[in-house]
Amino acid sequence: MKQFRSILIFALIDIKRSFRDKTALFFIFVFPLIFLFVFGGIFGGNNGPSFNVALLNQADNSFTKEFLKNAQKDDLIKINKDIKTESDAREKMKRGEIDAIIKLPGSFGEVTGGQPYPSGQAEVVVDQNSAQAGATLKSIFDAIFNQVNKEITKAPTPFTAKLTVSKEQGLNQFDYTFAGLLGFSILSLGIFGPTSVFPRMKQQGILRRYHTTTLRVWQFFTANVLSQMFVGVLSVALMFAVALTFFDLNMRGDYLTMLVVVLLGTATMFGVGLAVGGWAKNENQAAPLANLITFPMMFLSGTFFPRFLMPDWLQTISGLLPLTPIVDALRFVVTEGRNLFEIGPELGLTAIWLVVIYVIAFRVFRWD
Amino acid sequence: MVQAKNLTKTYSDRNVVDNISFDVKPGEVFGILGPNGAGKTTTLEMLEALRPIDGGSATIAGIDVAKDPYAIRAIIGVQPQSPSFQDKTKLTELLQLFAAAYGLTVDAKQHLASVQLEDKAGSYVEQLSGGQRQRFSIAAALVHEPKVFFLDEPTTGLDPQARRNLWELVRDIKKRGVTVVITTHYMEEAELLCDRIAVMDAGKIIALDSPKNLVRNLLKKGFKKEQHVEQANLEDVFIDLTGKALRD
Repeated sequence: MKQFRSILIFALIDIKRSFRDKTALFFIFVFPLIFLFVFGGIFGGNNGPSFNVALLNQADNSFTKEFLKNAQKDDLIKINKDIKTESDAREKMKRGEIDAIIKLPGSFGEVTGGQPYPSGQAEVVVDQNSAQAGATLKSIFDAIFNQVNKEITKAPTPFTAKLTVSKEQGLNQFDYTFAGLLGFSILSLGIFGPTSVFPRMKQQGILRRYHTTTLRVWQFFTANVLSQMFVGVLSVALMFAVALTFFDLNMRGDYLTMLVVVLLGTATMFGVGLAVGGWAKNENQAAPLANLITFPMMFLSGTFFPRFLMPDWLQTISGLLPLTPIVDALRFVVTEGRNLFEIGPELGLTAIWLVVIYVIAFRVFRWD
Repeated sequence: MVQAKNLTKTYSDRNVVDNISFDVKPGEVFGILGPNGAGKTTTLEMLEALRPIDGGSATIAGIDVAKDPYAIRAIIGVQPQSPSFQDKTKLTELLQLFAAAYGLTVDAKQHLASVQLEDKAGSYVEQLSGGQRQRFSIAAALVHEPKVFFLDEPTTGLDPQARRNLWELVRDIKKRGVTVVITTHYMEEAELLCDRIAVMDAGKIIALDSPKNLVRNLLKKGFKKEQHVEQANLEDVFIDLTGKALRD
């Protein structure tokens, strides 16, 4: 009981101290916002100058080949050649990787019904979030078809384009990026703070002084983790507030689930910082190790660059990083609205990392 | 109260503390004197359970230092050579932290008053002078009312007023019944404060007695100092000119 009261006192005074420290305040609140504004500015809009589409073509005739060649001429439409099935295409559209699905039925471009010219209907499938992109795509197709129709016949248009809005809620690029930025913020907050603060406190003999008391390492750790979780939640809350206000973030999950992910993620990443900062005798030892650990996670765990863009072997490796399940969980909550049960695997993996990291941190900790 | 028996510390085959034994009596002020590198600080750190003991043993109040370091830490107070504290933390908060480290809660203001820092309660440590910082560090070290108080060169770098003030504090602490172990290389300080002195050189204790006896033994050997009949020295002049009041 006494021991827990002591932990709370340490945590409380540490939080107060953070709010008096301008450098700490910058890294807790301003630093993540800078990234938010930079990346929000890049990915804020949903309309790019071109459209990424999946082509589901069942037609195999010379007309269709010629038509597709013309359609891609002016770079407005970029066909993702890796997508072969409709379910794959819909999945990718849900994630915001493509803007629309173009469907050409088998009869497209065939000469049927005793008519002298080929006919058919192209279907542009989009979801709610890219309805605008869909409308634009449809007019592009209309224009192309008008051209074709004119060439073939002066009669009423045998080719038409049809716009279908699917029922799946789409994802815009910002929502996806935002979840990654949350992960980046949790990473940098958890590692850069303790890896500079603890070695400095050691060099000044501040930690050594606590070592002369009956304070236990686990008490010291717990107090710091509590303080860090508090600050981490505030930092993430501010990011949410800014994202909702300025970037029309579409948060699909509930905030209680989010809180659990943020608390667990913050504690895990802080454990990495605690292990490095607790081991290092000075900042010269801490900084290179901190960077060595941080950079792979920063670039491979899906914070800035989506992991699905990586080659398979790299996806396998990056899946083993402790930040990856945290970023995945954050993204599932923000963009898909998954609940605690549905992100169970990610939380479980993070919890395993938490245990591993803190066992290491305890083993390597030094008071001076 | 504090017992060292054949205490030894070895760094790369060199004994920085070499087989020393002594016995500090309850309530006395015990001084460890010696030039830099004599092994004073290492000796203290072994007694404080901060450094592993390589040979021999040490007990405080009957508790083996190596076997139960946490029981030792609960009954000792430690004043390091250059005390420093985390920044942007108020003095009252720091005392709460130190009390919490021992599982206690305390009246921080009262502890500050005991070292004449009550009006600095809301200040940060970085706003204190060297002497104030030393005094604050003493308050922090005594927050759990230890039985033994270790001070490592507490007056190095202090001005004469602050040094005198610190001597007063040490005498007060002694009056409260606390056993004090202090290292210094100021002979005047040792003579004024210490009941007994161990003189260390190259890791060994080369003399151990009361200041008076040590001087008497030297005189017995026929030692003669050039005679000075001055009744005051330069420090007396300095104190006469600038007064005894603390400057911080």
